[in-house]
Amino acid sequence: MIRKLILTIVSLAFLLAGCAPARTATPAPTQPLPTPSQPLPTPVPTATPISLTDGLKRAVSLPAPAQRIVSLAPSNTEILFAIGGGSQVVGRDSFSDYPAEAKSVADIGGSTGNYNTEAIVALHPDLILAGEINPPELVASLQQLGLTVYFLPNPSGLDGLYANLRTVGLLTGHSAQAAALVSSLQARVAAVDAKVAAAASHPSVYYELDATDPTKPYTAGPGTFVDLLIARAGGTNFGAQLKEQWAQISLEQLVVGNPSIVILGDSAYGVTPASFASRPALDQLAAVKANQVYPFDDNLVSRPGPRLVDGLEALAKLIHPELFK
Amino acid sequence: MSHRFLPYLWTSLFLLVAIVLSVAIGSVFIPLLSQLRLLADWLMRRPLPDSLQTFASIISAIRLPRTALVLLTGAALGGSGAADQGLFRNPLADPYLIGVASGAGLGAVLAMSLNWPYSFWGLMAVPLAAFCAALATVFVVYSLARLGKTVPTTNLILAGVAFGSFASALTSYLMLRSTGDLHRAIAWMLGGASQAGWSPVLAVLPFLAIGLGILVLSGHSLNLMQYGDDQAQQLGLHVTRARTVILVAASLTTAAAVSFSGIIGFIGLIVPHVMRLWFGADYRRLLPLSILSGAGALLLADVLARTLLAPQELPVGIITALAGAPFFLWVLRRTKNQGYW
Repeated sequence: MIRKLILTIVSLAFLLAGCAPARTATPAPTQPLPTPSQPLPTPVPTATPISLTDGLKRAVSLPAPAQRIVSLAPSNTEILFAIGGGSQVVGRDSFSDYPAEAKSVADIGGSTGNYNTEAIVALHPDLILAGEINPPELVASLQQLGLTVYFLPNPSGLDGLYANLRTVGLLTGHSAQAAALVSSLQARVAAVDAKVAAAASHPSVYYELDATDPTKPYTAGPGTFVDLLIARAGGTNFGAQLKEQWAQISLEQLVVGNPSIVILGDSAYGVTPASFASRPALDQLAAVKANQVYPFDDNLVSRPGPRLVDGLEALAKLIHPELFK
Repeated sequence: MSHRFLPYLWTSLFLLVAIVLSVAIGSVFIPLLSQLRLLADWLMRRPLPDSLQTFASIISAIRLPRTALVLLTGAALGGSGAADQGLFRNPLADPYLIGVASGAGLGAVLAMSLNWPYSFWGLMAVPLAAFCAALATVFVVYSLARLGKTVPTTNLILAGVAFGSFASALTSYLMLRSTGDLHRAIAWMLGGASQAGWSPVLAVLPFLAIGLGILVLSGHSLNLMQYGDDQAQQLGLHVTRARTVILVAASLTTAAAVSFSGIIGFIGLIVPHVMRLWFGADYRRLLPLSILSGAGALLLADVLARTLLAPQELPVGIITALAGAPFFLWVLRRTKNQGYW
């Protein structure tokens, strides 16, 4: 009995010793405290130096626009090149494959979830542009090594994308180009809006993300960019009725839902309209009967960069071909 | 040099070589001359030339802390693996047998599914949750396996396996439901040091010192346990008490190792077996030898993980199984003393 008591006390002591600090969520004074949240990002009036608050509510300051940048996400690489900062990119993650010039920049890893910190340090970057695909541990490690990291949050809509473009423009000394890019993107979105406003119907669109298990494919639920762009392009996202952002659905649900358009975001992995139609019962779908099953470049809608507008235009043309004749 | 100390000499030498390789080899190539120059400058306390500053910071801020954390993790897995094999008298026992890994995995994935602020404790949430959940799992399994005043090992193993499956199922469910952190969770499950700097090393050091200290001193008890519970009791060992102490020490060690480094398989299973095949089954010797060579083996695996696909880094858990399994089979085939267990 006494032994049991001692064992219980010892185990509890260890558990409490380990757990107590996590429960009292007071930040340790030794760590850089998150600055009070401001409407982000807040540029300082003079062009240099730059100080902003990033997506992790960290204060980030640069003495001058960054000249040696390491990008840790494909979307960040696309933004950097699109605003004219491509020549300042000295390192990029393994998934960054667009534009083609980005592939000749030094690869700092990331395809296995581990980034090569040694290679990053050796590149002497003055700015590391992280994104939401990077874990906070990585940001902390890089910060501990004395490097400047800006965490670019995922936008929740096109306005957020424009804000991100302006932020990166400011960080890299390309504010004017970023502003010009934003206005041209806004004009293109407005053109799509104007055409789609004339649409007679909003057909149901099923967007397939992954069919590794073809009996339970993944589709994009509410709140995703796919959902937002399909709606903006004049369609009704079949996945919008689901509860989760990335959800598996059964073939039965798909047959009952009977979408009139199918967009194969997984076509890069070998799914074709023919292989889609050959799955059990799917030859009954309205989309298959009407030959409205289309392969699609998923990178246009999955990377929160300027190509989202390309994705919007491509979706609008697939959903409402009659408006784009 | 008597025959008794030779095994220690060999394993220490192996560990030393592994440490040197781990510091010297990385994805960024640092010429040997520069490394010697750095070492000389550091020993003589001379200021560093500018051309070597980058190399110096890579070695001091990235490679040394990583080497230290990997060394401690390997030592913990080797030591607790040897202890668990002796405790359960089962050649398949490893540090994760009674649910430490599945419990830690559940804790880590639970912590990852919440949105922590970017602060010191926010970053510590995952390792802390993993550590606490691992110990809680062992506590639950121990309580479930208890029969009156005794804790039969068969019950421990069965309760551990059953509870482990339960926790793994919950973990898989959480991972499937998570929207963005799947990548992070998988990387953690496959093992590998994710946080840089000295703070993880300092955080795990006290637990490992206590846990491994107790294990090293438990060699005699483990030797007696090999005769079976009744005989060990007759030989003067308080079996239940000794078993509880060893179990707590091994679990504490494993939980601390797993909290920052993720679940690294195979080291804790294979290293004690190799030591047993080469140097005999005396646990007084087996435990320290497994600790030393566990550290060395994991360091070598980590060097491979960092360099094989550079600039990509592989999870070290993949290397330990890929390289460890064939090596172990080779040792097993070569050893004439097949009835070693």
